[in-house]
Amino acid sequence: MSRAMTKRVHKALTDENLQTALTRLTGLIKFARQIAFEGVDFDSLSQEIRSVKEKSIANLPELVEQFKAEASKAGAVVYEAKDAHDANEYVQKLAQERNVKHIVKSKSMLTEEIELREYLEEAGIEVTETDLGEWLIQLAGERPAHMTGPAIHKTIEQVAELISRATGQELGPEPQLLLDAARNALRQSYIDADMGMSGANIAIAETGTLVIVTNEGNGCMATTLPPIHVAVVGYEKLVSSWEDAVHIFRLLSRCTVGMKMPVYVSHITGPSRTNAILGASSLGASGPGEVHIVLVDNGRWQMRESADFREALYCIKCGACLNVCPVFASLAGQVYGYIYQGGIGAILTAFLHGLDKAEDPASLCLGCMACKEACPARIDIPRMITRLRARLAMEKGLPWTSKVAYRGILKYPQRLDTAVKIGSYLQKPFTDKDSIIRRLPYPLSSLTQTISLPALSYQPLRDRLRDYSSLGMVDNPEVAFYSGCVAAYVYPELGGDVMKVLRKCGAEPYYPVEQACCGAPALFAGDAETALSLAKRNIAALEGMSADYIVTVCPGCAAVLQREYLDLTAAEPEWHQRAKAISSKICDFSQLVLELTPLAEKKPSRNQKITYHDPCHLKRGIGVFNEPRRLLEREGFELVEMADADNCCGFGGKIVLDYPELSGSVLKRKLDSIEATGVDTVVTNCIPCVLQLRGGLDKRHSNIKVMHTAELLAKSL
Amino acid sequence: MSAVTTELIEQFKAEATRAGAIVYEAKDADDANDYVLKLARERDVKHAVKSKSAVADEIRLRQHLEKAGIEVRETDLEEWIAQLAGKKQTGRKSVEQVAELIFKATGEELKPDPQVLLNAVCRTLRQSCINADLGISEADAAIAETGTLVMASSEGNTRLVAVLPRFHLTIVDCGNLVSTMEDAVVRLKSLGESATSGGMPSYVTYITGRNTTADIPGAILARAQGPAEEHILLVDKSGKCSPDPLGSGSRG
Repeated sequence: MSRAMTKRVHKALTDENLQTALTRLTGLIKFARQIAFEGVDFDSLSQEIRSVKEKSIANLPELVEQFKAEASKAGAVVYEAKDAHDANEYVQKLAQERNVKHIVKSKSMLTEEIELREYLEEAGIEVTETDLGEWLIQLAGERPAHMTGPAIHKTIEQVAELISRATGQELGPEPQLLLDAARNALRQSYIDADMGMSGANIAIAETGTLVIVTNEGNGCMATTLPPIHVAVVGYEKLVSSWEDAVHIFRLLSRCTVGMKMPVYVSHITGPSRTNAILGASSLGASGPGEVHIVLVDNGRWQMRESADFREALYCIKCGACLNVCPVFASLAGQVYGYIYQGGIGAILTAFLHGLDKAEDPASLCLGCMACKEACPARIDIPRMITRLRARLAMEKGLPWTSKVAYRGILKYPQRLDTAVKIGSYLQKPFTDKDSIIRRLPYPLSSLTQTISLPALSYQPLRDRLRDYSSLGMVDNPEVAFYSGCVAAYVYPELGGDVMKVLRKCGAEPYYPVEQACCGAPALFAGDAETALSLAKRNIAALEGMSADYIVTVCPGCAAVLQREYLDLTAAEPEWHQRAKAISSKICDFSQLVLELTPLAEKKPSRNQKITYHDPCHLKRGIGVFNEPRRLLEREGFELVEMADADNCCGFGGKIVLDYPELSGSVLKRKLDSIEATGVDTVVTNCIPCVLQLRGGLDKRHSNIKVMHTAELLAKSL
Repeated sequence: MSAVTTELIEQFKAEATRAGAIVYEAKDADDANDYVLKLARERDVKHAVKSKSAVADEIRLRQHLEKAGIEVRETDLEEWIAQLAGKKQTGRKSVEQVAELIFKATGEELKPDPQVLLNAVCRTLRQSCINADLGISEADAAIAETGTLVMASSEGNTRLVAVLPRFHLTIVDCGNLVSTMEDAVVRLKSLGESATSGGMPSYVTYITGRNTTADIPGAILARAQGPAEEHILLVDKSGKCSPDPLGSGSRG
């Protein structure tokens, strides 16, 4: 997180035009997406894309050779460029040799990446973007805000201004009028152009074919009207066959704009040709007589070599991950600072522009996993972000503050307990009577900017449950309770609730006192060493009494215990086996209660309406979202669903510490949808979410109560 | 190929319509011709451009429109030359004859050099597409699962006919309907293999519904940079869709 990024984030959050544009857009995208996926088996279709991309990237060297041979056979000229400069120079030379004055261009993220337009403009060649959004960005002199919607950050008023200026007409904020003016302005460009330029969505090796997808029709015109067509294509676009390409179409436009199919899909195999006049084949009939394909590396082959990041090459640039990203919904894409936006953008930036450039973009990830769920190529973006942070920490070293925090304190539960106790004294002057801290002094003031904080507890959960005695019922299932830090130090009373409810359900719960922080803060900051040390400590603590279940109230911890420990211990077979045993026992509180009481009948209605917030790590991390609802309804509560119940609350990652204002913006949308339900209680199964929601509602002076399911059940037993 | 089922036709119609196309199922040749003429008149069409279409040839669509005073320009080179020559299927013209035809059509006197002629012809044809009110195409295949039209050409004229004019009309012979995108690929590959040049034609364009843009804030707007309307005329030329082939009565 750099100061520059903090500034950009603040600027974006306070930019009224941007916020207006984004608010209008989010609803539109959500609606389109909903329709597009009706009756679609997303899982099997995305698995097909995944397989195609895995296979293609694995066979890339062969595909490249085949593509080159076939495209050349079809009459295209193929050039392999090793980097941005190489590609730009090739195109510029070609343009100059052919005396090209004016180029029309269809949208291509790769040309943005290598800054080809700027390069050609500097050489005195006029380049007109023909995708309407990209054209607007060109007029504004900006970078795209979104892979597929470059100008989504503009309001209609701003667009009116841009088009008015470009066309010399006085145009109001009337979409249809603006579109007509834009269309007319661009049309002459195609006719006048000496060269058409495009990227490619797919390149098919078996026939040397380029596939270009557009909805506006500009792609067809830009690649057919001018006498020369130049396509700039990243190596990762190669697939083997036309059948492979079909799998990509099936989801591409659904993910992009919620359409079943793109309007125009152009398959271009070599230049235009005819037999009509010469009797023999000659080139350049209605279309261009010359087609050049520039295959660009610029870091892609290096990415292919990297086991950790290879899957970033599976990206089909549909933008679905951006459409569902809560951070993107608050900031749009330009804050990321480089060409590619969002989480996937951070990964691509690391390879295409340099690792150091990726630190800021990576710091904007909440880790909410919405992108992973939406990705048609099933790319595990959040996991790659974690790896990227680890790599950055390794190369740059951790800041000293983090070193002290993770290696000096977090690693040792006793020290953490002591630190919290000290904190609980220090906080006294700032703590209100109701144990809430509403305003901290500088330099901590930003922490209470968007939420009120709960006071740290003087007596951590470990001390409270140390002597928790068992009932001694040997036949009852044993449940180890893993609390996580927020429950341990902030809401220790929840521990008692968990124990009470589980006992009532016929289990024998206990609290392994040797447990420590799960290691998530260290892991996500890139300190794998501390994370591994904590993993071992927790594995040993949790396997102690050979529990049947391990229950958590923090799904973030659960996800780490269940999955990350397997990764962390991968190099140590013995620990890995032990991690596996732990992993299989992890369950969420609601899940466990249902499992312990399978025969319980539905309770009579309590006449209490509640709404349920899906914690990111519970729903997308360990796939639990039905169980909490089922349990609440079984217990007699009336569930009123809020809009976007599974949108992040804004607590994720280090965002809440690094960018409190951004966290607040994500939180605001969540609180708005909670308030819109009209209920007086919001329930969730994640204790950090409880902290965030309580803090945010307190700032709003709202009377809505926030409760963990365990707390609600303990009260109503 | 087995008969195209009614379900397939209905699926195609539903999907194409959903994507914003306007679909009409012609009862017979006269109905098809009348429909296109009516459409053209209602939209004040003066100039039309056309790519190769066996169905249009068979039902003499061009002549029908010309008779009504609408200029229809062929854009496939061979067809265009034949149109200039005034007859169909008269065999290949010599370079000199082509130069002569171009001179007659455009007043441009060109030396009988094939490349020079080709360039000149292309300029003319391109301009026709730019000026046209209506583009008329025939699909090589149509995909029911998505309502997609598939058009193949090596010259590229089909793309210009489809995108540049104000309106676009595509004739679909029911016999060319396929169920899925995979089926369309199979068909394209067999077309490619049987082509004299071998391999895939230079351009294979899939068109699904009407062109749109989401780049102007507020809504997804129709007619971005392509035609304002995308019309599909379903005909049953090959008689694969019903017991009554085109021209011999209506189909149920």
